[in-house]
Amino acid sequence: MKEKIAKIKENSIKEINQCNDEKALNEIRVKYLGKKGELTAILRGMGSLTAEERPIIGGLVNEVRDELEAFIQKKEKEFKRKELETRLKTENIDVTEPSKKVTLGSLHPITQIIEEVEEIFLGMGYQIADGPEVEKAIYNFDKLNTPVDHPARDLQDTFYITDDIVLRSQTSPVQARVMEKQKPPIKIICPGTVYRSDSVDATHSPVFHQIEGLVVDKNIAMTDLKGTLEMFAKKCLGENTKIRFRPHHFPFTEPSAEADVSCFVCGGKGCRVCKGEGWIELLGCGMVHPNVLTYCGIDPEEYSGFAFGFGVERIAMAKFGIEDMRLLFENDVRFLKQF
Amino acid sequence: MKASIEWLKEYSDIDIEATKLGDILTMTGSKVETIDQLGNDIENVVVGKILEIEKHPDADKLVVTKVDVGTEKLQIVTGANNIKVEDMVPIAKDGAKLPNGVKIKTGMLRGIESQGMMCSIGELNLTLADYPNQIEHGIMILDKKLEKDLGKNIVEVLNLKEDIIDFEITSNRPDCLSIEGLGRETAVSLKQPFKNPRKNIDEMKVETKSELEGLKVDIEAPDLCYRYVARMVKNVKIAPSPDWMVRRLKACGVRSINNIVDITNYVMLEMGQPMHAFDINSIEGKHITVRRAKKDEKIITLDEQERELDENNLVIADEKKAVAIAGVMGGLNSEIEEDTKTVVFESAVFYGGSVRKTAKKVGLRTESSSRFEKGLSAENALRAANRAVELVALLGVGEVVEGKIDVYPTKQKTNQIPFDVPKINSLLGTNLSKQEMIDILEQLEIKVENDIAIAPYFRMDLEFVADIAEEIGRFYGYDKLDTTLIKADTTLGIRNKEQNIQKKVKEVLVNSGFSEIYTYGFVSEKDLEKSNIKEEIKKYAIVLQNPLSDEYKLMRPTTIPSMMQTLAINNNKKNKQVKLFDLSRSYKNEKQEVEQGEVPLQEEILTIGMYGEDVDFYSLKGILENILEAIHINHYDVEKEINNASYHPGRCANLKVGMDRIATIRRSTSRSIR
Repeated sequence: MKEKIAKIKENSIKEINQCNDEKALNEIRVKYLGKKGELTAILRGMGSLTAEERPIIGGLVNEVRDELEAFIQKKEKEFKRKELETRLKTENIDVTEPSKKVTLGSLHPITQIIEEVEEIFLGMGYQIADGPEVEKAIYNFDKLNTPVDHPARDLQDTFYITDDIVLRSQTSPVQARVMEKQKPPIKIICPGTVYRSDSVDATHSPVFHQIEGLVVDKNIAMTDLKGTLEMFAKKCLGENTKIRFRPHHFPFTEPSAEADVSCFVCGGKGCRVCKGEGWIELLGCGMVHPNVLTYCGIDPEEYSGFAFGFGVERIAMAKFGIEDMRLLFENDVRFLKQF
Repeated sequence: MKASIEWLKEYSDIDIEATKLGDILTMTGSKVETIDQLGNDIENVVVGKILEIEKHPDADKLVVTKVDVGTEKLQIVTGANNIKVEDMVPIAKDGAKLPNGVKIKTGMLRGIESQGMMCSIGELNLTLADYPNQIEHGIMILDKKLEKDLGKNIVEVLNLKEDIIDFEITSNRPDCLSIEGLGRETAVSLKQPFKNPRKNIDEMKVETKSELEGLKVDIEAPDLCYRYVARMVKNVKIAPSPDWMVRRLKACGVRSINNIVDITNYVMLEMGQPMHAFDINSIEGKHITVRRAKKDEKIITLDEQERELDENNLVIADEKKAVAIAGVMGGLNSEIEEDTKTVVFESAVFYGGSVRKTAKKVGLRTESSSRFEKGLSAENALRAANRAVELVALLGVGEVVEGKIDVYPTKQKTNQIPFDVPKINSLLGTNLSKQEMIDILEQLEIKVENDIAIAPYFRMDLEFVADIAEEIGRFYGYDKLDTTLIKADTTLGIRNKEQNIQKKVKEVLVNSGFSEIYTYGFVSEKDLEKSNIKEEIKKYAIVLQNPLSDEYKLMRPTTIPSMMQTLAINNNKKNKQVKLFDLSRSYKNEKQEVEQGEVPLQEEILTIGMYGEDVDFYSLKGILENILEAIHINHYDVEKEINNASYHPGRCANLKVGMDRIATIRRSTSRSIR
């Protein structure tokens, strides 16, 4: 019996060594270790052995069985590794071929600028406010210190629905509405659509977008305005951006200023974008006019505030290098997906 | 407002370059638009004297000349035929540069050496308007008196160097629509004393009379005319103005007409007060009335156009007719003519709002009206009238009539503003002493007495402490202001629920391949028609009073036409796969809000549109379901909709949360896409 077992072992090891693939190896496993396998048959035939022989033969069979099992497994791993190697060698694709990704859409450049500005000011503790586009003249003009005979009320600038209802020509009426409703401290930015009676060309559109900001609290100073706008400019246009205030005039602020930023294309050396000046006019701003505070129910003796506002299209065009404003409203999907 | 530095120098010493001056004034609030530096582009052109003229041996149309240019004698070949020996002419020597960019070099003309060129007025960038005695095509013949300047630079001899700065003047500073005002700003900006060359005018005492040579003036509308000053000159000799005046007018962009008209323009540019001059013989009854026009009253203005007026317009009238539209333009019937002998100078001040409306109604925006509409000082009117007659005397072209007519029903009030030092410092964020502030204000002629700041008559814009703070701020220097951050309680910067939902919705759409579009809120009736919009929605459209065109006549009551147009544009551009969304408003005058002076309904609408391969009803439905999932709306019903004419009746559904329809999903009819 022992010889028989030794023979089985010898034969099977020989066969295993000779076999070339997993399939053959499996056949060997069945032949020797399967239910009807040669080694299993010995275990089955142990009924004819003596009680003394049984444990010896049984032990021997199990020993050989484990040995074979381990050897087969080793061989199997070897085959798997070889097979993988060949598979990897043959499975060669062109990785530069087009992908099957889901195509992303795009946010409009105007939204991108608005959201960027919103994030900066949200971070500084501002809230976002909006109001009607078809607006009462009293909010668009009167409460903003632009009385009936003011040139800004001319038909040539503003779209009128009736004498009392206009398409807002600025987002400032939102400021007036917020000031009426909310007690200081007020810190808001108001992005929105505005309308002016300009014919469509490369740099004009009767519909465009503004973002205005308003802060009203005790002891708000012009230096705060300058500091706030400097921080905004650095975050939005780059850490090296410088800001410059020039005196200007707006009916709703006093003192008023126009803020220029160092050109974000050339860094202030002078280029085509800044027309060689090194500065780009960014926005209009100033301390809220005492009349505006009064008209909106805030005591100018107790509170002061600042306001600023700028056109989104102009910034978007400068930042994205868009030369014609009409492209922003044409909505050719090939254009939109560039941003 | 254009100003030549030469003229500004009457008011302030200026010893810096024009560009530097421009930078400084920009930073104090007079923003420079452009700087024109005339004469800088002419080099090496000198005064020469022609000594000989001989025929060119090989060319019939050329002559060979000998010219004395002081240091040497040059041989110059020219084709000009208006020159003769002894003439003084401008000579561009070898190496000269001319305004048209041409460089002059010694060269051969038909075999004869020419060592330069004689110049025409055009080649020196001058015009017949500047030099009416010259000819356009031919050599400029200089005055014989210039022989003393032989060989000297023509730019200096003819005084061609001129730096002109064009300033953007903000609407609150009509006083700066004058050389005087800009001169004052220049002096303060450069920290130079303001040399008031009109001191004699300020101190002049002229007796007020009820009539001048029989002329009387009445103001019938004192609410629209604050002051009317008239001064008169007799035995006037109408003639061209002297060169210096023509030149200054030209620098400011005003064409010379004749001495009297030029004086009115000169005074307006110098002092900012528009003037009008008329012939006394054209005033019926020698009685001027400032009154409202009658309904449908007509007048032919100086530009020979007939203008129709109404009761809202103010006119200057005699006993029979209007002779001028107040503050806008004079009438042709009272124009200064060649034979005018007695001239009335009118220096009046009108209510700006009325002048603006009138100018708009008659479609004439003049140098005069654009000044009046900003609100002028009545105190300046008398100065200007006195200055006009002073100029007549100075030019020796007429005899000044003693006395003035001065109807001044409502005296201009002096603005007195509390001089609150702590408030000014707190507004600016500065820490200036009272004295530092006073020093700035005094330069601006703002007096401080007993903690009251008193604005000078020409600064009607100064009303509040904030205005005083601005004056101090801009001359202390905006660039010197610190940058500080708000010292206040922390506030929470967060988006509200609606803003968060909008952001989320956009995110889902972009991630699903949709591009955001921006559309105008305008539509035309045709657009609504094309999209088959229901009558009941169409009638909510808001109509613009003054649309740019029919295309932009209505505010859209629905966003559908805008999306359809955008899809069509993309289709025309042969874009194959198009997925778009628009988050914008519709405007509905549902309850006649607009007529009642109220704000109409303006809803934020999400519109999604797409076309292309494998786009069907279900892909859109899927997107909508994704959006709802993202914003946590989990319970909704989809119901078939068959009554929407814009859409395919078999492929349209409403999406409902409870009883509210929150979305409509639909396939467009092929007609509306087309």
